[in-house]
Amino acid sequence: MKPIMLHGHERSITQIKFNREGDLLFSASKDPKPNVWYSINGERLGTFDGHSGTVWSLDVKWDTSLFVTGSADQTMRIWDVETGVSLECLEQKTSVRGVSFSYSGTMIAYTTDKMMGQNSELIIIDVREPNDIDGTPIMRTQVTPNNSKALSVLWGPLDEFVVTGHEDGSVIKWDMRTGKIMEIGQEHTKQIKDMQLSHDGMMLITASKDTTARLWDITDLEALKQYKTDRPVNSAAITPLVDKYPHVVMGGGQEAMDVTTTSSKIGKFDARFFHLVFEEEFARVKGHFGPINSICFHPNGRGYASGGEDGYIRVHVFDDSYYQFRFDF
Amino acid sequence: MSVAEEVKSSWADEVEEVEGGSLPPPVEKSDGNSKTITEYSFNEEGKKIKITSHYRIEKHRVARQIAKRKTWTKYGLSKNDKPGPNPATTITAEDVFMHFLTNKEEEQIDQEDLKKKLLDQQKGQVKCRLCKEDHWTKRCPYKDKLEPLRTSLYGEEKVEDEPQQGTPGVPPVDKTKLGGPGTQGKYVPPSMRDGGSKKGESMMSARGRDETATVRVTNLSENTREQDLQELFRSFGDISRIFLAKDKNTGQSKGFAFINFKKREHAAIAIQYLNGYGYDHLILSVEWAKPSGTQ
Repeated sequence: MKPIMLHGHERSITQIKFNREGDLLFSASKDPKPNVWYSINGERLGTFDGHSGTVWSLDVKWDTSLFVTGSADQTMRIWDVETGVSLECLEQKTSVRGVSFSYSGTMIAYTTDKMMGQNSELIIIDVREPNDIDGTPIMRTQVTPNNSKALSVLWGPLDEFVVTGHEDGSVIKWDMRTGKIMEIGQEHTKQIKDMQLSHDGMMLITASKDTTARLWDITDLEALKQYKTDRPVNSAAITPLVDKYPHVVMGGGQEAMDVTTTSSKIGKFDARFFHLVFEEEFARVKGHFGPINSICFHPNGRGYASGGEDGYIRVHVFDDSYYQFRFDF
Repeated sequence: MSVAEEVKSSWADEVEEVEGGSLPPPVEKSDGNSKTITEYSFNEEGKKIKITSHYRIEKHRVARQIAKRKTWTKYGLSKNDKPGPNPATTITAEDVFMHFLTNKEEEQIDQEDLKKKLLDQQKGQVKCRLCKEDHWTKRCPYKDKLEPLRTSLYGEEKVEDEPQQGTPGVPPVDKTKLGGPGTQGKYVPPSMRDGGSKKGESMMSARGRDETATVRVTNLSENTREQDLQELFRSFGDISRIFLAKDKNTGQSKGFAFINFKKREHAAIAIQYLNGYGYDHLILSVEWAKPSGTQ
């Protein structure tokens, strides 16, 4: 594999995401300018200028017309992908942690931080008219103090519920109509760093600081599988080609603050491939000089991209050896 | 994909450049599926750099929306970028390979190795009095069966004191080889161990030589051969080894030799008779050899 290295950010990457077709790759980092790249050759289409703080999360609408970012500057911005213009800037009381477009693209769910006497909240807004978005929530519910701070958010199938990942490791399913808790999945012991859906939206993979990733059935939050490593897991993804190549990829590594106190050899910054069912690791890819903060498969399953604490994004296209590899039973 | 390679100009070019001071115009070559652009520029040190970028042109058939998105104009920080990847933000990384883990995780193996090592170290330190396996007697799985049997056979005391001379059928173990039950588990430096007082015993036995029965012969003539010495000394007793110092290049004697007798008294007789003996028009000097360690 000859990866393409994308160096458009000045600080560590927080989240990367492909659009639905996989021709564009969106990236956010701790610097205030999210980027968008052509995934085929690594050409940068543009940057989204407007935020003034760390961009914690991003999401792109299914038709790649709109792009939403949540930032620590206490705003959530909605952008036009074609021109890079900020269509809307919604001010919040605290910083925005997780943002997510609903499958239909008509709603955005986002979570806010618990800060300055404000509670962490889960809010859903209507974005059917992109040029006339008023930030009036159609659902608003307090996450704290009953539960710990919500960090990431995802939509369930048919936009019927949302799932949030929390600071204490719990995963909570909320009814989007009433704002009530439907299920709580309490398996992880430490902070959820990332949540991603499988290609068909029926499974959920969570990455946690407790050195494991878990696979969940999204409908009843049943914990199906557990992938164990020896390092905090910052991100995990399920391949879209799950029928033929049932693999998950996980990125992580020791925390940036600990790196200087240990030898570089045990940094463990490689991407690790696990078998989805057998929960066993079968391959690794090296490359980053720091922990991987976000990892995702290309929607065609023929490659993956990873963004690291080192500020680089690496876009990989698999060699034939990946497809030829047969799992040793 | 662009691969930039730097070619430093030779000193001759540099001289020209100082005189001329101009750069050749960029050259663009198209060849079917590939394109090569050669550009020239100055680096920070004022040296001329030639940058050759190789592009492979790929054609992809994509959905209409994707093709449309490809025609979008760049914005933000990329506003002024030319079509194609900007080398400042897009870098082709070195080849990386997917490292397949065939059997088990390497680290696990490492850890297991370490564990095994530790276990091996513990082996021999702990020995069950009942079944002779490496665990504490208290934790012996056969404790219930074996202990009453042993106490009835030997009585409590004997079992305690003589753990090595154990069960019938097991041949008695040589205590010295195991270092004795008392010394087991304690570190004993090599010099303090049994046989440590006999200096270099192992070395000598290996060479089959006892230095106490060695004589040194000096003032030999250059033409002396080992055979001559053997003939001369054989009459006094059995010889285990003859060492004649020879020049490496010429092969001639250096004038001294060591003769190892099997018995010390034979060596003594040889010294008595041959010291001061005229041999090959020289007067031999035969004496006890100093131990090799003190030489």
